[in-house]
Amino acid sequence: MKLSDRMSGGILVALGIAAAWFGSRLPGVPGQDVGPSVFPMVVGGGLVLCGALVAFGIGQGFEAPEEEDPTPRHPLYGLRALLPPALLVLYVLVAEPLGFLPTAAIMIGIAAYALGASWRLLLPLALIAPFGVHAVFAKLLRVPLPDGVLPAPW
Amino acid sequence: MTDLLEGLRLVAETEVVIAIILSSIYGLVVGSLPGLSATMATALLVPFTFYLSPIAAVATIISASAMAIFSGDIPGALLRIPGTPASAAYTDEAYAMTRKGQAELALGAGLWFSAIGGIVGTLSLVLMAPVLAEMALNFSSYEYFWLALLGLMCATLVARSSPVKAIASMLLGLLVACIGMENPAGTPRFTFGLTDLLGGIEPIPALVGVFAVSEVMRAMLIPPPPPLPDRKFGSILAGQWALTKKYQWPMWRGNVVGIIIGVLPGAGADMAAWVSYAMSKKFSKEPEKFGTGHPEGLVEAGASNNASLASGWVPSLLFGIPGDTITAIAIGVLYMKGLNPGPTLFTERASSMYALYIIFIIANIIMIPLGILMIRLASRILKAPRSAVMPVIMLLCAVGTFATGANLFAVILVAIFGCLGFVMERNGYPVAAMVLGIVMGSMLEQTFVTSLIKSDSSVLPFFERPVAGVLAALTLGALAWPVLAWALQRRKVAAA
Repeated sequence: MKLSDRMSGGILVALGIAAAWFGSRLPGVPGQDVGPSVFPMVVGGGLVLCGALVAFGIGQGFEAPEEEDPTPRHPLYGLRALLPPALLVLYVLVAEPLGFLPTAAIMIGIAAYALGASWRLLLPLALIAPFGVHAVFAKLLRVPLPDGVLPAPW
Repeated sequence: MTDLLEGLRLVAETEVVIAIILSSIYGLVVGSLPGLSATMATALLVPFTFYLSPIAAVATIISASAMAIFSGDIPGALLRIPGTPASAAYTDEAYAMTRKGQAELALGAGLWFSAIGGIVGTLSLVLMAPVLAEMALNFSSYEYFWLALLGLMCATLVARSSPVKAIASMLLGLLVACIGMENPAGTPRFTFGLTDLLGGIEPIPALVGVFAVSEVMRAMLIPPPPPLPDRKFGSILAGQWALTKKYQWPMWRGNVVGIIIGVLPGAGADMAAWVSYAMSKKFSKEPEKFGTGHPEGLVEAGASNNASLASGWVPSLLFGIPGDTITAIAIGVLYMKGLNPGPTLFTERASSMYALYIIFIIANIIMIPLGILMIRLASRILKAPRSAVMPVIMLLCAVGTFATGANLFAVILVAIFGCLGFVMERNGYPVAAMVLGIVMGSMLEQTFVTSLIKSDSSVLPFFERPVAGVLAALTLGALAWPVLAWALQRRKVAAA
């Protein structure tokens, strides 16, 4: 997601204003001038200033130009980037009921497919890697990974 | 002396030896894979450190990070793709050498001078830390405030990014650090009514998100790097001694610059490599050869980034202020293991400190044989298909962060920070500055508010003590730098 500097600067200004505003409304400590609201207000003020500088293009010019991918892509191609975070959310939602092993196999399978793995690589990877990770984390490090419908054989 | 012997005994324990060897191999492999940085390698190690003794835990971080910084040179020299950002400064040079048929010399220089840089950096840590510890005992909240702020400002001076955007990233990190109840009054701030946010946002999910998940996200969009052609390598270390003698002066300059940049809180190996490479070119007798496969810059910058890695532990151990993103992780591990950073660490836990120095030296020595092995196996390891590595990394992100607190909310945070890091990176906002903001936010706020209360809301006492004054001047200089640089550049453009 490439934003214009005006856009990203504007977002920072809005965020800074919100931080300073909500910060200023925090209850203070009785009998003391300095409370929990000072720091968010200072940070918010800084964000407003930086956001404005970015939006108006002041102080730019050190950035290395980003290498753009020359091949023309479908406009929705960029959405592919959202797959990994989406899979992490999926893990949070289904790991408990489904169990670690099946969830991990699904995650790895989908991600590997999206990255263009051949079936000969994808299937063994999705079958073996979850067991490997489970062995290290649940068996060796005693992390409580959920069993769900398919408990590990150990 | 007894402390030194005790330190040796601590390192000689089987657990520590195994930890060093395994984490070295891990660091070499992860560092050599393009897109997987040394910081990420360290972040994914954290769940493992939970189950190790304090010394073994620190040993894994030291050896994995040192190896990863070296091994980032390998794909840089062979494919022109830096394995870690710290190698990016001299990737073109190393690749030019490979094209001239000097791949062995380029890789050997990376290895040899990395090891030298690491050892010299360690010696600086040994010499500097106790002296600074004496000084640090007299520090008050004013000095700590300026140190923390200076660290954050240094983190914004990273090359190749607009300083204003870097400062904005840092402020964003500070804002994230405001979340939760850990503030002077214990008031829930910016928690949006979520109980999960009451405890604040831990640095680990943020780190894993911006350094690992965002990398997997990027891999979804860009084609995989080309496969490495099989090649037989000649002797790796041949010719290194001649290089050492020929470029003795640049090598020392690289070491010293690396040490200085490492000691500065907030500035790490990436910056050390960029600065040293630029310096090398500037002071070289044959600057016209740079970029055509000339080893001089490689010598200087290769030594510099590893030297900064060791000296980066100075502010971390003394003040709890990270020298870079890797030590930011290490500080968390130190606290967890009861080795709380601070000047007293050097007096009360001297044997642990000696153990740490010894681990640094060992890691940099075994880097040479392991590194040679790694170079020879590189074409096989780099054949590991990205479509297999990245999904496993993603799974490790989920399980690893879950393991740090047995909390699924942390996995959501990883996903959120992954998206944030991805968008920031695409738009030129450096994520390392944000991470350091998150790590240092509560310390900065605490020292700031304590100082303000002490001074009765007056700003003057912030500058009155001599050390505080010097630190303040440095910090304000770092703050003024973007404005100055911008003005100078505009004048140049106007003149042209």
